[in-house]
Amino acid sequence: MQTVTLKPKKEIKISVEAENISPDKFAGKTEKDIQSIEIWMGNRRTTIGELFSVKVEGSAPAADTKLVLEGDFSRVKRIGEGMSGGLMIIKGNVDMHVGAKMSGGKITVTGNADSWAGREMKGGELIIEGNAGYYLGAGYRGETCGMRGGKIMVMGNALDFVGEHMCGGEILVKGNAGILPGLSNNGGKIVIEGNTSRPGSEMAKGTIIVNGTVDEMMPVFKLEGTEAVEGVAYRKYTGDVIISGKGVLYVK
Amino acid sequence: MELLIKNGAVYDPKNGIKGDKTDISIKDGKIVDKVSSKASVIDAGGRLVMPGGVDAHSHIAGAKVNVGRIMRPEDTRSGLKPRTKITRPYTGYTVPNVYAMGYRYAQMGYTTVFEAAQAIMKARHTHEELEEIPIIDKGALTLFGSNWPTMDFVREKNMDKLAAYVAWGLLASRGFGVKVVNPGGGEMWGFGKNVTGLDDVVPNFDVTPRDIIVSLMKVNEMLGLPHSVHLHCNNTGKPGDYKTTLASMELAKQVRPSKDRQVLHVTHLTFNAMGGTNWGDFESKADEIANFLNNSENVTTDMGQLIFGSATTMTADGPLQYANAKLTHGKWGNGDVELEDASGVVPMYYARQVSVFSIMWAIGLELALLTKDPYKVLLTTDHPNGGPFVNYPEVIALLMSNKKRQEEIKTLHEAVHKRTKIPGIERELDFNDIAIMTRAGSAKVLGLLDTKGHLGAGADADIAIYDIQPDQIDPSVEHAKVKSAFSSAAYTIKGGEIVVKDGQIVATPMGRTFWVDASVPDQHTDIMMKDIRLKFKNYYSINLANYMVQDAYVTHPNVVKAGVISVEVS
Ligand SMILES: [Zn+2]
Repeated sequence: MQTVTLKPKKEIKISVEAENISPDKFAGKTEKDIQSIEIWMGNRRTTIGELFSVKVEGSAPAADTKLVLEGDFSRVKRIGEGMSGGLMIIKGNVDMHVGAKMSGGKITVTGNADSWAGREMKGGELIIEGNAGYYLGAGYRGETCGMRGGKIMVMGNALDFVGEHMCGGEILVKGNAGILPGLSNNGGKIVIEGNTSRPGSEMAKGTIIVNGTVDEMMPVFKLEGTEAVEGVAYRKYTGDVIISGKGVLYVK
Repeated sequence: MELLIKNGAVYDPKNGIKGDKTDISIKDGKIVDKVSSKASVIDAGGRLVMPGGVDAHSHIAGAKVNVGRIMRPEDTRSGLKPRTKITRPYTGYTVPNVYAMGYRYAQMGYTTVFEAAQAIMKARHTHEELEEIPIIDKGALTLFGSNWPTMDFVREKNMDKLAAYVAWGLLASRGFGVKVVNPGGGEMWGFGKNVTGLDDVVPNFDVTPRDIIVSLMKVNEMLGLPHSVHLHCNNTGKPGDYKTTLASMELAKQVRPSKDRQVLHVTHLTFNAMGGTNWGDFESKADEIANFLNNSENVTTDMGQLIFGSATTMTADGPLQYANAKLTHGKWGNGDVELEDASGVVPMYYARQVSVFSIMWAIGLELALLTKDPYKVLLTTDHPNGGPFVNYPEVIALLMSNKKRQEEIKTLHEAVHKRTKIPGIERELDFNDIAIMTRAGSAKVLGLLDTKGHLGAGADADIAIYDIQPDQIDPSVEHAKVKSAFSSAAYTIKGGEIVVKDGQIVATPMGRTFWVDASVPDQHTDIMMKDIRLKFKNYYSINLANYMVQDAYVTHPNVVKAGVISVEVS
């Protein structure tokens, strides 16, 4: 087991692109190695050691590496991008793109995560104990697939476009979701415990379950009748009929 | 400024040099017979030396390319490279930014690249981008095949007016040659229709694709343009299209060339040598096309080789792109250029295990390997239709190594065994063949062999040195070394200046833009312009005065003169 603890040396005001903060990049490395890893702050090339204090205990491969991020990471983007294994705990809020393209391991954010959390994720687990921003588990601009695998859980609320272009995997939002969750979906499963509006437009495949209230339905779904999912009765819809979609939408 | 390249293993097909240790002398941007003792010296140390690469068909600038960029931000995010003291940032893979276009070509040892399609009306955009592409020399072919004036003058059988229109259109677009895409089809796409062969009549114009192609070939030779007509055939990209391709190539026999080159260049044959009647029984007919080429002297082609992975298809063939978009269920860009053609942009992903793509991969290679004379099949990927140009080294390695081809075949759909001939083709091209397909041949096809694609005195000092010693390598076995050497030139010299060293850009001079100024008798222009003015008055959304590309858009011009000469038309 290797544990790496990062703390910002001072308040980060200009956003940092931190795709190099992940168990894969830190595994087996010493404090000095990690301090010299390149990182961009705004348009300036700098190092992890310049911005963060680094503490390393033990040495292990990525799967047995744990990162603990303490302090304010709310202007640090792309943390854990592409990570393949290991653990990461972010104590507090985090900026956009946390866990983007991750394929394994587990990230826990104890605060809020900004937009694009878990975008194009392929595997692993992302847990956000606070709220999530826009485009949770979605595909970034231009991508035809968002999340393809893995699991995202948000204890709070998520803003609009949850799982846009999702092709696989699972998203659970315990609170409410903004408009158009599952927009252009092509697979995967989204469960929203709270309320939302206009779910599943342009949905080709996949499943969306809404346990709260749907404020507004898009008129592109066909009502198939009632169906019980895990003992709970739902109205079952299929669509989007405009694109001959085979998506399934369960609404209470 | 003098430079001497010593001890190079030189391949210069035009001058008959095949790997001989030859010194190359450079003075003031040109290759000369000898230089003084003050010249700086590059010791090539027995490494491979070729003329700078010449690409006669690529999509590097203009409206379609930019539509591709706009609709593919995900592509822009690949291939990112931050700026350095010398270079600006690189972005993109299939649709790179303008800077990466120039840098990546130069890093492969290419120094001249032609954009294969610009509508006259969109030509300013093309030139705005060409003006920003660093290092390489370039030019753009102008679309004429579905233009209303073209079809009017073809119907009137008035070759003088058509010649005047082509000359004026090249001036208006600062274009280099005559591109014809799915002639007649671009017009019919405006009504949601297409032509299905050479003899369909285009409504409202009463002409056929056959009439358009033959008339433009005649006029091209009347004008003595450096390049021939450059044709994207009707029916492109449909199973069974090889018949239309052969019938179109046949038309070349009706016209005699005005210069020592073909009268018809038929492009991106990967998309035009398709057999079968649907995607289920689809098969390669590259052998039939190669057979035609082996028995004809006035047609050239290029491969349009398919590269597995991401591509962005872009063409003036609007109806083809509608069909492609229906297959992919993905993004589709559709364009209409008023009186001048249509266009479409569709991203593609060529997966190895898909039968159609495995067969298409074989078509380009079969064509190149079954055609005896490498001057007749240029190496292209129809960037970015078959795949991005950065994959040329992969294509070179495939052509030089049967071993590599057999390794690849193992990873493909089994259809490649049953519906193509590639598994049984043992021919391996040599460095001389490659130098023809990427240099001398492309320069000859473009009509630029005086100054491009060779290393004799008088040529532009555009030179590539690659990090392999031809007499110490067996490309058949060491194909990975060949690929890596061609990917990253040891030196690229452009106009006598070292622009790449050890694969890195070290200088970014601005290249020139080639365009053709063809003269016709004034009275022909006057008569033609009456019709053109009427078209602008009645139909175009812009004024004639706002249509022409001004000199300000071409700040480093290289004007090639041409004009009406008398040719016998048989
Ligand atoms: Zn093309």
